[in-house]
Order: sequence, then structure tokens, then C-alpha cells
Amino acid sequence: MRKLIGVLPIVSTAVLVALLSKPIGGLPALGKLLDPVTGCWASAESVSKNYNHKLKLDGLKGDVTVKFDERLVPHIAANNDYDLYYTQGYIHAYFRLWQMDLQTRAAAGRVSEVLGDKALKFDRTQRRKGMVYGAEQSLKAMEADPRSKQMMDAYTAGVNAYINTLNYKRYPLEYKLAGFEPEAWTNLKSALLLKYMADDLTGSTDDIALTVLRDALSPEAFVALYPERLQGVNTVIPRDTIIQTPTLSTPTAPADSIAFAHLKATDFETSEEGKGSNNWALSGSRTKSGKPILCNDPHLGLNLPSLWYEVQMTAPGVNVYGVSLPGAPGVIIGFNENISWGFTNNYRDVKDFYLIKPATANTYWFAGKEHGYTNRVEKISIKGKPDYYDTVRYTIHGPVIYDQTFHGPGGLNKPLAVTWMAHRPSNEVLALYLLNRSNQYDEYVKAIHYFLCPAQNMLYADKHGEIALWGQGQFINKWKGQGRYVMNGADSSTLWGDNIPVAENPHTRNPRQGYIASANQTVTDTTYPYWYNGTFHEFRAWRINDVLRNTKAATVEDMFALQNDVYSVLAANVLPVMLQYVSPSAISDKERNYMELLNNWDYKLTAESKAATVFQLWWTNMYNTFWAKLYTQSPDPLRPTPERTMQLLKEGSPYLGNIKDAVIASLRNSMDSLDKLKKADRLQWYRAKNTSVRHLTKLAPFSFTNLKMGGWGNTVNATKTDHGPSWRMVVQMGDEVEAYGVYPGGQSGNVGSKYYATFLDKWVKGEYYRLNFYTAKTKPAAKYTWTINPKNK
Amino acid sequence: MKKTIIVACVMAFLGGIFSLFMSGLWIAAVLPFIVTVSMQVKGRQGFGLGFLGIALLWLVLILLKDVPNHHILSTRMAGLLSLPNAALFILVNVFLGGLIGGLSGWSGAVMNKAFRKS
Repeated sequence: MRKLIGVLPIVSTAVLVALLSKPIGGLPALGKLLDPVTGCWASAESVSKNYNHKLKLDGLKGDVTVKFDERLVPHIAANNDYDLYYTQGYIHAYFRLWQMDLQTRAAAGRVSEVLGDKALKFDRTQRRKGMVYGAEQSLKAMEADPRSKQMMDAYTAGVNAYINTLNYKRYPLEYKLAGFEPEAWTNLKSALLLKYMADDLTGSTDDIALTVLRDALSPEAFVALYPERLQGVNTVIPRDTIIQTPTLSTPTAPADSIAFAHLKATDFETSEEGKGSNNWALSGSRTKSGKPILCNDPHLGLNLPSLWYEVQMTAPGVNVYGVSLPGAPGVIIGFNENISWGFTNNYRDVKDFYLIKPATANTYWFAGKEHGYTNRVEKISIKGKPDYYDTVRYTIHGPVIYDQTFHGPGGLNKPLAVTWMAHRPSNEVLALYLLNRSNQYDEYVKAIHYFLCPAQNMLYADKHGEIALWGQGQFINKWKGQGRYVMNGADSSTLWGDNIPVAENPHTRNPRQGYIASANQTVTDTTYPYWYNGTFHEFRAWRINDVLRNTKAATVEDMFALQNDVYSVLAANVLPVMLQYVSPSAISDKERNYMELLNNWDYKLTAESKAATVFQLWWTNMYNTFWAKLYTQSPDPLRPTPERTMQLLKEGSPYLGNIKDAVIASLRNSMDSLDKLKKADRLQWYRAKNTSVRHLTKLAPFSFTNLKMGGWGNTVNATKTDHGPSWRMVVQMGDEVEAYGVYPGGQSGNVGSKYYATFLDKWVKGEYYRLNFYTAKTKPAAKYTWTINPKNK
Repeated sequence: MKKTIIVACVMAFLGGIFSLFMSGLWIAAVLPFIVTVSMQVKGRQGFGLGFLGIALLWLVLILLKDVPNHHILSTRMAGLLSLPNAALFILVNVFLGGLIGGLSGWSGAVMNKAFRKS
């Protein structure tokens, strides 16, 4: 008996240790996490950590030197392309492995594997969208070209060389928190990451919502509320730019009754006001130095670790600086000694839906015949649960994304297939390879013509003084209206037709106006010979054009100011109209007090402005009031754009109903929210909107909130709550490149590192770093050096 | 008492060497047991010795990480566990180690007692 009692403490120790080593409920394995040797403490990086390294790596062909500057930006110098991308892969993994891993798992619909069945719906959506299918298609194209194949093989080898050095102790902290392990990198994962970007930038469309509204509204009302093209816009491609004769003629549209499907119970992906990015370039005629200046600030989700990783990459034939995507080789946005480039999303619609007409359980109707589905069985592994199998049926149009077993967002239960440019083979990796090495306009054009999806407005400026922009992507020669609504999947006339030759994409080179600006607005005016639709945003483009039109001797500082500009074109246009409808007798004293804040307001959404908060709330309420009636016509309708609403308000359009009542009612409705904000001392605009840069896990202690920043989607500085300028770059070309940049994050993905969010302060303040671009002439001092040699030599 | 402190310090020192190739959790679960068995420690002393030795070891290991890190990680981890500051997080963390060490030491002591008297 005593012996038995003697064993008891041993058992209890063993049980305690075992309990602490296993995740319980939603909690991580606490014992392992709090282990002072191998747990979270292993991620506590000394603030004076010496990053100097001597490495011997397997598979490298020659010696590589990496110099890190004081911001921990690596400047990689390799002797050949293979080693260059190998080292980039190694460095991405060294600083950002968990993020790369999670994002590619998310792209592939494999989050349930590590987070359990709460992610099953997300995973099924990804599979049904055909994310992996699209990545596989592109990977074929990428591996078919020796340059991109070598680039991806090298990158993958570099990532895996780093992963192979890891043990539990050295895993990034997030793995220990979520209880999973890094897995080997593959070329497919890099392809998936690029599809993830394509999905982010071209994934949402209004097709389904417009299909319902088109049936629900009178034709006149529909055209007035949802014009195919907004009037009075500043297009990306200036009007006077010559457009060559098209080589393809526009196909004839089939009769409406054949072309389109009709939906009733449906839902759609909402469009947010002013989502997107800005880029603009000034020719030397408009700058103080006489040299062109290129500016870009792509707006994306604000997360930590940041989407971007700064890097300079040098090898024979290439010396490029810019931001890269951890998980993909090359530099995405940046410059070299001769050219600079920037991207904004193009927003032409490249994703269309088809209503499938089932014949039997395994067949559907197309062109009068029965066709069988090609089934793709998606196995979704779920942590702690049996595997889930989802059969995705592929039609001639593409995968059936919604059906009875997987309803659309609003409970849509009819089978819809999706045709999406991201499903087609394309080699964006080769585009980046060539772009990074381009030295003049023709090379740049040749490079970007490989970039097919997501379509981007690709801006260009070079040291010879040229500026240019291409609305680049692969587009289809559509008949008028094709794909704007859900189409009839049983008729062959609705199929996508020929590719528009990429050389006929909208473009402009050294336009007379002396500048080019794109901010996700309408790409061309109606003189462009091919028909297209899209989700375009105009407010920022109006403002940027207004400013640049009057800019004569611009400096880089002027460009910083414009990227941080918070003047609201929306407010300047609608507020005077709104105020006209408010008679002093119609409002209460309290309402008057808030109204007084709007007196003499300069329409700037500055961080401290209280007027900005009052306006934004009032406007949002009014916008919702105007369009509330659409809910009687459609379960969850798409509202006309804020731009169109602004125009209708200024015209006093009857489509808005009784405007005076709506203005007063929405002012009244704003009082509660304003009082609450005032009570909580959050009336200042930055406190009301709460710009946050959150860790990908959304864990609050790893995130930064309440950042003191102005702006909103309708201003050039489009800093919203969790979305905004993800990389601000200003580059002045010339014999010596003068470049500035900043992104909301830091070079290290480790939450225990001082480099985790180093740049955030400057980004919040609207300040920039001068970028250290190493050339044969300038070699700034390095803070740390990695000397890397091949292992087998 | 004085002897207990000295033994605890020795245990922590040994643990420090083990930490070069073992996890802190394993050291806490095994080392006090070995020490109490080999030193024929009895009764409640075993728990105290294990607790003290491992708490000391974990405290030193943690401070060696935390101080050069300027509490960046510990502050964020404290937030994760809804603790008000890094110091309290470290205290909880050290207590956890002590608890495992104490149980391990107690196991050794009870073993000693059980086997000697039979």
C-alpha cells in the first residue's frame, strides 16, 4: 500500500506535465509555451542581437553576401540568378516563415488543418473558387519557362534550406500558440500566394447583385442608379492618348432572354467605399529637378507581419530594390538604376458567373446537349476531426461555386459556375523576372505583357525622362454587357470569346498633360474600342488630378504631402448641399451644436478633426437612408456607388426620394452615435475610426490600434480601419535614383523582436525613410553581414 | 533550511547545464526527482527543494532572455494571458515551473520513504 502511495506523486507529476504539454480547448499547450528554454522565451530576441552570420548552405552554387542596413533591409549580392532567389527564399523564411505558411494554407483552403472546423466554411469557399486549380494551371506555365522555373526552384530550395535548420525551439512563436508545425515549401505554394493576391484584387464582383436589381428596378431607374460608366470622371488613360485600331471586332450580343439568367433569392459580396490604391508619375516638365518622379501607395489589408518585405537584389544583369511578397520570388514594386514602377488595381471585371441548368444528377445542359461534370474531390483535413470531402463539379465554364450543398452568402441555392481569369495559366513570375531587369520602356512593356492576372495599372518612369502606364492584364473581347450579370450557362453565346491582344490594352506614354495618375478609377473613356465593365472608384482620382494639374515644380516633399492628403472631394461636394436642406428651425439645440463644428470646415479628414466625424456619420446615415428602399426590392441589394449618389444629390434627383426629409432624418439618427462618441471622448476623427494594424491572428497584444491618422476611403490618404496604404513609395529618377518609402510594419515577423513594427511610427506620422540603394557608385555602410558559402565546396 | 537553499542552488546550476540540450519542462519534471532520490530527502522537504530549485532555474533562464529583450516579448505575452504586466507574467511562469519541480521533488521524497521502511 505504501508503495502504491509512493507512486501517487509520480503519477500526479506525470499527469500535470502531460496536461501542460497538450492543447486543451482553445488554449495552447501551456507547459510547452511557457517553457523557459524551448517555449515562447526562445522568441525573446535581444535588442542588441548580432545578426552577423556565416552560413554554409546546401545547394547554393557560389558565394553570396547579404548586407543588412540599420532598418534590417537585406541587400543581397549573388553571382548568379539561382543563388539570388535561393537566398531570397532563405531570408523570407528566416524572417517571415509563419506568415508565408499561413497565407498559402489560407489560399489553398487548408486552414481547418491547423485551426479546426471553425475554418471549414472558409476552406470550402477557397476550394470551390478553384484556388488550387488556378494555382496548378499557373504553375504549369511558370515551370514551362526555364527562367521562371529556375527562379521558383531556387526560391523553394532556399525556403526549405531554412526550414530544415529548425527544431521546435526555433519555430516562430505563432506555431507554438496554434500548435502546428512548418511544412516543406513547394513551387505550388508560391503560385498559390500569387493567386491569393489575385483573389484579393479581382475576387469580388457585383454580378449577382446587379442581376437581381436589373429585374427588380425599372430600366430607367436601373441605368440612373447603376450607370455602366460614370460621367465626369478623370480616366486613368488621358483622353488625348491615341488608341490604335483594334484587331478584333466586338462580338454581337445575343438577345437578352438568351444571354442572362434571372435570380431572386440571392446575396453578393459588398463593395466598400473607396477601396484601392494610388499611383502617379510626373514627367520632368512638372518637377523642380526636371526629372520624373514616380509615386505609389497600394492599399491593402493592414496586418502584421506586414504583407511586404523590403529587399535589394543584385546579381549579374540585375540590381533591383523594392518590396517583395514573402512566399514569392522577385521584387513586386520598386526600381532599379534605370526604371521605376508601381501598381494599382485595375478593377476591370475578369470574373463572371453562369447559372447552370442541371439535366441529371451528373450532367448539365450546354448548347442543347448534356455534358458531364468533371469532379474534383477536395479532401479537407480538420484538426481533431475526421477529414471532410467536398466534391467540386467543374463545368465548361469553370467550377460550380454555389449549389444546394454550399449556398451562396444570402442562401442562394441555384448552381452557379464561375469563369475567372485567375483559373487560366499565366506566368506572373516571369513578368517580375523581366521587369526587375528592364532598363528602358520597350523592355518594361515586354516584361509586363506576361502579367495577366490580377490586372494592374502599371505605372512607369525612367531615368531618360519617360513616363508611361499600362492597364495590363489579360482581358476578353466581350460583347456589350457580357458578364455584367449572371449569364445563362446553357447557351454557347455566353462563353468567353477571344483574348484581347495584350498589346491593345489601354496605355499611355508621355501624355501631353505631363503626368499620369491612377487610383482605381475608370480606365478609359468610351473611345476605347473594346467593351468592359468593372468596379471603379473615382474620389481619389478626382483629387489627385486636381492637385497634379496645378503642380509645376514638384519636389519629393510635395509628393509625400499628396500621398498623405486628406481632402475629401465627397465632403466638398455634398456637405454644402446637405446644409442647404437644414433650416435653423428644423433642428434642435443639440443638433445645432454638432452642426457648428462643421462651420468653416476645410473638408479635410485630419486626425484631430471633430467635423470629420460629424460629416462621416451624417453622410453614412444619409447614404443608407437614401437606399434603404432598395431592400424592399432585393434581399440584400448593392447600393449605388457613393460617387453616383453624390451626383444624384447635387442634381436633386427624384430617385433619392424626399431629400430634405432624408437629410434631417439622418442628422437626427446620427445624434445617438455622436453622443456616445463624445461621452467616450472619441469625437476626434482618428478615435472614431480607430485605424488598426492587427496581427494576422487578431490577437490584441500583438496588434496596434487607435493610430493617430486622418483620411478615409474617399481621400488620397485612404487609411481606413483595417485597410490602407500598405507601402508608400516616392522615387525620383535620374543619374542617381532618389527613393523614399515606408510600410506599416517591420522587417521581422517575430513579435519578440524590436524589428517587429519598427516602421509603424513613421508611417503613422506620414514620414518616409530614404532608401539605401547600393550601386557601383554608392555603397552605404552595412550594419550586419551574412557571408554564405555552398556547403559541398 | 540553509542546506535546502544550497541544494536548490546546485539543482538550478545543474539544470542550467541540462538546459543546453533539454527542455525546461523535462528538467522540471525529472531533475528534482533525481536529486531528492539520490540525496535521500524525505517528506515535505522534497516539495520545497524541488519548488525552490526549479523556480530559481526558470527565473534565471527567463531573466537571461527577458532583460536583453527589454521585456518586448514578456509584455506581449502578459497581454495574451490578460495579465497586467510583464513582471506578473514572469512570476506566474516561474510559479508554474516551481510547481512541477515541487511535485517532482515530492515524488522522489515519497519514494525514498516508501522503499526505506519496507
